[in-house]
Amino acid sequence: MTIENRLLVFCRKALSAFVVTAGVIPLYLLTKQALTPELQSFAWPPVWFPKSLTLTYVKDVIASGELRTSLILSARVAITAALAATVLGTMLGYAMARHTRARALGLSALTATRLLPMIAAAMPLATILITLGLYDTPGGVGLALVHGALALPAAAILLFSAFVKIPIELEQAAYLDGASPLSIFLRLNLPQVRGAVAGAFVLSFLVSWDEFGFALLLQPTNRTLPPLIYYYTVFGDTGAASALALVSAVPVLIALVALRPVLLRGLSGRG
Amino acid sequence: MKNRRGRLLNLCFLWLPLAYLAAQFAFPLASGLVMSLNAGGPSFANYSFVLHDRLFWHACSNNLIVAGLSLCLEFSLGLLFALLLHATRGRSLLVEISVLLPFLIPEIVFLSIARYILLPRGYLNGALLSVGLDGLGWLNPGSWLALLSVIVVDAWHVTPVVTLLLLGGLQTIPSELYEAAYLDGAGPVARLRYVTVPLLRPALFAALLLRGVDALRIFSTVLVLTGAEGAPVLSTYAYQLWSDALEPQIAMAASVMLALFIAALAAVVLGLRRRSGGRAETSWEYLTA
Repeated sequence: MTIENRLLVFCRKALSAFVVTAGVIPLYLLTKQALTPELQSFAWPPVWFPKSLTLTYVKDVIASGELRTSLILSARVAITAALAATVLGTMLGYAMARHTRARALGLSALTATRLLPMIAAAMPLATILITLGLYDTPGGVGLALVHGALALPAAAILLFSAFVKIPIELEQAAYLDGASPLSIFLRLNLPQVRGAVAGAFVLSFLVSWDEFGFALLLQPTNRTLPPLIYYYTVFGDTGAASALALVSAVPVLIALVALRPVLLRGLSGRG
Repeated sequence: MKNRRGRLLNLCFLWLPLAYLAAQFAFPLASGLVMSLNAGGPSFANYSFVLHDRLFWHACSNNLIVAGLSLCLEFSLGLLFALLLHATRGRSLLVEISVLLPFLIPEIVFLSIARYILLPRGYLNGALLSVGLDGLGWLNPGSWLALLSVIVVDAWHVTPVVTLLLLGGLQTIPSELYEAAYLDGAGPVARLRYVTVPLLRPALFAALLLRGVDALRIFSTVLVLTGAEGAPVLSTYAYQLWSDALEPQIAMAASVMLALFIAALAAVVLGLRRRSGGRAETSWEYLTA
């Protein structure tokens, strides 16, 4: 028994080492490339530890030009998308929590959304957005609307599992006291799921912020961050690509640290 | 609450989001289907072009290889990690790290750095050089090595998600079952075979569905690592027809084929799950992963 236990402990240590390495090495190399002069990034054999540091690339991202424009566009698209997904997800989550038929219907629709191949929707959508005049606009409205739909399943499920825990007796009591259905929802139910609403907003924001495929196809010249990182990576501007990637990882880190409990609970579907 | 206003509210709450989803996804899918059937008049010419294109079949086989192997890798590693974390009642910090990793690094950032690692003069070949080995062309277009790189990078990125899904399944198995099996004389292997696996089946099916579909529609990993031509899969094949060859209708035909493959996979997995007695209701919690 003790040998078995010791083996388990060893395996767990090996596992944690593996997980941490697999996660930390990419982040470290990225940071290194973003903060060292390009000559060191192109050196052969590769430089593992920086010899000198520079803030040129990070400054470029924040200061002006293409990088900054794309940063602002990404933020605008992600906020719009997160608003749409949170509002609609709250509505759908509530309907699904209160009615079994709505639950079955909603689950099918959300599952279908989750399984959709990006390319099959994005190409015709580009044609549709051209007709509507929303294709590749500087404000990225068309892309934001797609991202909202893309983030809807996660937001709706998060809200659904929060609403389901509120006892229906509360609602019935409020109804007997003469409250209207809308005010029951707004004043009784909504305040109780504030945490889940915030979680849904952050999760949707991250879905949009990280999304690559639709952004590549629908915003070919007014690029959000992921396609721009792709272009810089593939067409060889190591410093700028890494700095951009680093900057784009910052909001993700902040959001995750701030809302870790809510997100984890929603993720595992328990609690 | 059987009054009219209540019903109106519920109808709005249900149908507004569903209409939004339909406008963003169902309508484009349908119009893509219509466009794919149009070649100067209604015809199957686009499909016939795709089916006679050697590159399409190459993309199909690549797609199947990538999906098959990366699923094997993710699920064997994911199950191993989940069992270990569960058996040792893994401290929540470790769970959190492994859960948050795929989120911590946005997909494109991860792929960008993976490309820098695998380039001919990248960090992996540098590490090989420092132990006296010759580097390899990990991303050489058209090579099996490029395909392997795509598989490994994909598995690297999503194994934590699979681990989490399976760990969630493990935690729903009551410990009394293990105690009973132990008292009946079942060894560790028998307990895994007759208690864990059958009860883990719903979680396995859900993870298989999500990850299987993700593996079939794989796009960004291939595009960033090898370029659309390096290791063509169905998504990049369609993308190339659309953006480089400027053949939108043929591209739509290819993407409709991809959608059909995904629908077929989903039907098979869901059918298997129904036969094994899993309830459809259990699937909701996996939608956020």
